[in-house]
Amino acid sequence: MRMYWTILSAIRWGKVGMVLGIVAALAIVFAILILVVTKVCRIQEDEKVTAILEHLAGANCGGCGCSGCAGFAQALASGKACLGDCAVTSKEEKAVIAQIAGLPVDDSEPTVAVVRCAGGENANDKFDYCGNDSCLMRQSVMGGAKACSAACLGGGSCTLACPQGAIRVRDGVASVDKSICTSCGACIHKCPRALIERIPVSAPVYVACSNRCRAKDVMNACKVGCIGCGLCARNCPNGAITMQDNLPVIDYAKCDGCKTCVAKCPRKIIREHNAPPRVKKQKAPAKTEK
Amino acid sequence: MGTFMMILVMAVFVNNFVVVQFLGICPFLGVSKSTPNALGMGLAVTLVMTITCLITYPIYMYVLVPLELEFLEIIVFIFVIASLVQMIERVIKKLSPPLYNAMGIYLPLITTNCAVLGVAELVIDKGQMMSLLHISSMNVGVAVLYGLFAGLGFTLSIVIMSGLRGKVDRLQVARSLKGFPITMVTASFMAMAFYIFNLVSID
Repeated sequence: MRMYWTILSAIRWGKVGMVLGIVAALAIVFAILILVVTKVCRIQEDEKVTAILEHLAGANCGGCGCSGCAGFAQALASGKACLGDCAVTSKEEKAVIAQIAGLPVDDSEPTVAVVRCAGGENANDKFDYCGNDSCLMRQSVMGGAKACSAACLGGGSCTLACPQGAIRVRDGVASVDKSICTSCGACIHKCPRALIERIPVSAPVYVACSNRCRAKDVMNACKVGCIGCGLCARNCPNGAITMQDNLPVIDYAKCDGCKTCVAKCPRKIIREHNAPPRVKKQKAPAKTEK
Repeated sequence: MGTFMMILVMAVFVNNFVVVQFLGICPFLGVSKSTPNALGMGLAVTLVMTITCLITYPIYMYVLVPLELEFLEIIVFIFVIASLVQMIERVIKKLSPPLYNAMGIYLPLITTNCAVLGVAELVIDKGQMMSLLHISSMNVGVAVLYGLFAGLGFTLSIVIMSGLRGKVDRLQVARSLKGFPITMVTASFMAMAFYIFNLVSID
């Protein structure tokens, strides 16, 4: 008992008081300061924006071109963007947002991205590229190592950009896994050759080439590139294919998935959309043996 | 001008907070995945460090020292930093929404950044600061400048790190080293490079 008394009497109460005083004073000063600052700096946040943001998917993928979903919500509220720019948000949520923002309902079919090139090892090389992996760098060295000006460079910039990990570079050409792709569009901006585009999920076929050159030039550059022969357009029973600048353009509204074009194409460049790009596996080892 | 250059070289290169003093490693490794994010984090830390020095130095020198309450420094400093971050966040949100958006979540995270507490602790150590910077007296101006340049040093190293990681993440490394371990190895090589500045003698 006496020990406690000694300890108690040894405490300098004045100092304890000062400590308490200083901490309390700081607490009060900062509490008031924070209150004042909060009051002064209050922003009228647009209720519309917060409501829209609640219904967006929140993937923050950047595919719409805005900085994250918050930026997109702001753009929507001010009418600078349209709902179609966002591919991740579900249809039901989009309908709610359209109601909030007073925008037209976007009732287009969900899409996925496809890489419109089947080159890779099929496309001839101008030279052996050795250096930085990014597609932009590859493109900047003499316009890319591929003889074809619209060939996938295989650098994998789209692979890195994809937030879902849906793109892979196989045998020198990028391909999108249809089942994973959310069509956010992040890869589309990254491709220096603009080879990636969106097509409807249900699209039965797509043209895996973007080269608009004449047949002879394409023949020289690539083993599979579209030569613009027009057989697909002539043979399509529904008239869904038209030729534009030496490339077939498929109108998916008319296409019924008969796949006549797949059978007729002499270069096998119109491909079934569900199948992964066909790659001749035997070719690669044969080359190394030489 | 001499003192100014001295503070710059000492705070940014020789005593770089991250790679030489090993303070603020958490954001250094956590937020260095992309360069824009790293830059945002670095600038936010710089801002908070500067203002922290501006406030904690007078509190320590003119309140705690005369009252012989130096042992309160850590509590008081944490208190000041936490409140400051709250206030700065709101002010920035009001004054410059783009800047606020750029800094995003990193601003509140700084509350627990040890580099900020580190700089506040360092500048009140009069003897060490004076011998470090070869100056005869310490004042608020020097403290604030030191805070500013320490923050810029942090920014420099985190931005360099983000660039290095961008390259290293593309490389093929052994599976056991993939991800975080190779990042640590990269950081150690970077620290070695910075350590060379310690050999530079400034007269």
